[in-house]
Amino acid sequence: MSDQLEDQLKKLIVETLALEDVPPASIETEAPLFGEGLGLDSIDALELALAIHTEYGVKTEEGDERNREYYHSVKSLVDFIRSRQTAKTVS
Amino acid sequence: MTQLNQKGVRDMVQHGLRTGMAWFMVWTYTAMAPFGWAFFACLCFLWRKDPHLRAVRLQRVQTRAYRFMHSWLRWSGITNFDHRRPIGGLPDGPSVVIANHPTLMDITSITAVVGSGCTIIKPAMFNRRLLHGLLVGAGHIEGPGADVLSIGRILEDAVDRLQQGFTIIVFPEGTRSRGSKLLPFGRTPFEIACRAGVPLVSMTVQCDPVYLSKEVPVLRPPHPVPELRLGVLAIDYPRSEGLGSRELRKKVEARYHAWIEKPAKASVSSP
Repeated sequence: MSDQLEDQLKKLIVETLALEDVPPASIETEAPLFGEGLGLDSIDALELALAIHTEYGVKTEEGDERNREYYHSVKSLVDFIRSRQTAKTVS
Repeated sequence: MTQLNQKGVRDMVQHGLRTGMAWFMVWTYTAMAPFGWAFFACLCFLWRKDPHLRAVRLQRVQTRAYRFMHSWLRWSGITNFDHRRPIGGLPDGPSVVIANHPTLMDITSITAVVGSGCTIIKPAMFNRRLLHGLLVGAGHIEGPGADVLSIGRILEDAVDRLQQGFTIIVFPEGTRSRGSKLLPFGRTPFEIACRAGVPLVSMTVQCDPVYLSKEVPVLRPPHPVPELRLGVLAIDYPRSEGLGSRELRKKVEARYHAWIEKPAKASVSSP
């Protein structure tokens, strides 16, 4: 399941941010998404947050300082999405 | 004494006088700053009923203050910049103005020439108790905080200011350049221009010799008198050009790099 979600997320990143020269499989799961690694910026983060909300129904709270951790890498995003989906199911 | 020696002595004396004047200027500024703050704070309070009108008026006061500051620097022989020299090509109406960022005088000189401008200010300064109310009153925007998604608020605030008729001034490098090299451009001003559908004005700032850069502090004015020159490199219209912020940034950044390598090509019309 986690591999599938990771792959889906990588595809979502490439499609949402129009990274034409980046094959989804080439995005390292634990590499930083911003600055180094994939080199995304804060506007990319905003677009990605919207796409994640649309795709997975998971909302990112604005003003939450932990957003930097959630959006650090594909792995941290997967963990964030899964934890929010689990919390939703429980409630 | 040969002519060369006389010139060297004269230069040394002039340089010494200017360094002394720089010290005097810093002392004067420090002494007068509380009065300037109090004046601005009073105006902020008096005009509190209409936030938009308050911002318009406070920006006019700010512009006049910057113009006076640059005139004072010119009269005292510390720098040479005359905001009254016309710079052709600035559009009417709201726009996003960007520029390279070699010195601390960039924002004051650009505002003096443009006539107004909201800027994005780092949270550490924006939230200082003595400054916060004045910066909010003048329509400035708080910069990104620890939350990586705070850029959303900044974009909304900036578009809102543009829709109210204000101009936004942003340095895409985010901080002063290091030496003569440009730092990588952030996408924020380009995204703002695209969302608001306003012109993006690329201005150039040249200071020769360099002064008030990261390497040259205020109390070490160089010799001869630094000359600050502004110009308009180009104006882009994102909506009519059909460009997104990513493509626009690439295009404009390449243009600035070409200009840095050949500054004579810029359409400079100030001193």
